[in-house]
Amino acid sequence: MDCLQAEERFSAHLEDTLDYQTLQHFEGHLAACDVCRHEYARFQESVKAVQELPQIAPSPHFMATLQQRLATEQRESVSSKESGAIGWRQVLDVLLRPKWAFTGIMILILAAAGTYFYQDLRPTPVSLTPQVQQIEKSPGEPRIGLPPLRGNGSQFLQGSTISTPGQPTRQRYMLKQVSYTNASTSGGL
Amino acid sequence: MPDLDDELMERYRNGDENAFTLLVRRHQQPLVNFIARFINDRDNAEDLAQETFIRIFKAANRYKSEGAHFKTWMYHIAANLCKNELRNRARRDRYRVDNVVNTGNDSDGETEQIDLIGSAPADLAFQPEVALERKELQNTIQKAISELPEQYRLPLVLRDLQGLSYDEISEVLELRSGTTKSRINRARLMLKEKLKPFI
Repeated sequence: MDCLQAEERFSAHLEDTLDYQTLQHFEGHLAACDVCRHEYARFQESVKAVQELPQIAPSPHFMATLQQRLATEQRESVSSKESGAIGWRQVLDVLLRPKWAFTGIMILILAAAGTYFYQDLRPTPVSLTPQVQQIEKSPGEPRIGLPPLRGNGSQFLQGSTISTPGQPTRQRYMLKQVSYTNASTSGGL
Repeated sequence: MPDLDDELMERYRNGDENAFTLLVRRHQQPLVNFIARFINDRDNAEDLAQETFIRIFKAANRYKSEGAHFKTWMYHIAANLCKNELRNRARRDRYRVDNVVNTGNDSDGETEQIDLIGSAPADLAFQPEVALERKELQNTIQKAISELPEQYRLPLVLRDLQGLSYDEISEVLELRSGTTKSRINRARLMLKEKLKPFI
């Protein structure tokens, strides 16, 4: 038995609940280890000091006050039963029971998860900038200072770096057009 | 064979008001002592002890003598009330510290020193100096107990001040017997270290 194991058995030895074999090991260790012997003596002293603390007595009017409080409780209980009304405290009592609290939390988590996934699946409304609106209105028209668009414009989109996988196709297309337009404008100027 | 507490509860359920009074008289002293030692506050201890009896009074119809012992049931209710009180107190203290920091006025932050031992009956058999020395040691021990973490302090108070058995403490705290034993040993070791300069 080492010092740590001996320390773990201080209470059991003090209360005489060690089995014979452990008792032999414990007492053997204490006989050989000055530190543990000293610590065990201090352990016994401090336990004894705690156990000897005086009892704190209730005040003489403890019972009278309790009876008053009980009478008030009884009156409130009778009046609420008579009126048949359910007070907010009763509702709160029910809601704060662990079973109901757990159910409430689970419902909140499910509601939050449902809202999150619903928003993720729903197409996001696109707010078009004036530039994009112009592109949308006349995609084929040549513009001053810019080369005319040929075909459907997809040849210009090959090198585009804007890619938002979660968005609908139309919105992605618009963003790519804007990217192309900005690049051409800055190059032209 | 049912014990006296169970019998009194049964009588109370059948309409005998005196049975409840007798139950309170039997347990008021240990209960107040337990709460006062655990929360280190005598005035609130009385209030919480009364609250415990009110809860027992309200739940009397749900009490089943086969399920648990009255004493462990009572301590279980009291321990929960104490934990709530300590949580509320910690919250109040935090709020007060915040205010002190904000206003820079530290005179309000001083906590009132409550002399628990002073309220206990004095032992007249001792000389004044001896009694004073003993009282100081008792205050030191109470302070050391109050500084223990809650999970160690609770089983220690139940064991060394209330004299409950390990099985009863396990029932009160809803812990396994091994956990209860190890927590009590740990609490005593911590206390030994805290009392090193005095014992």
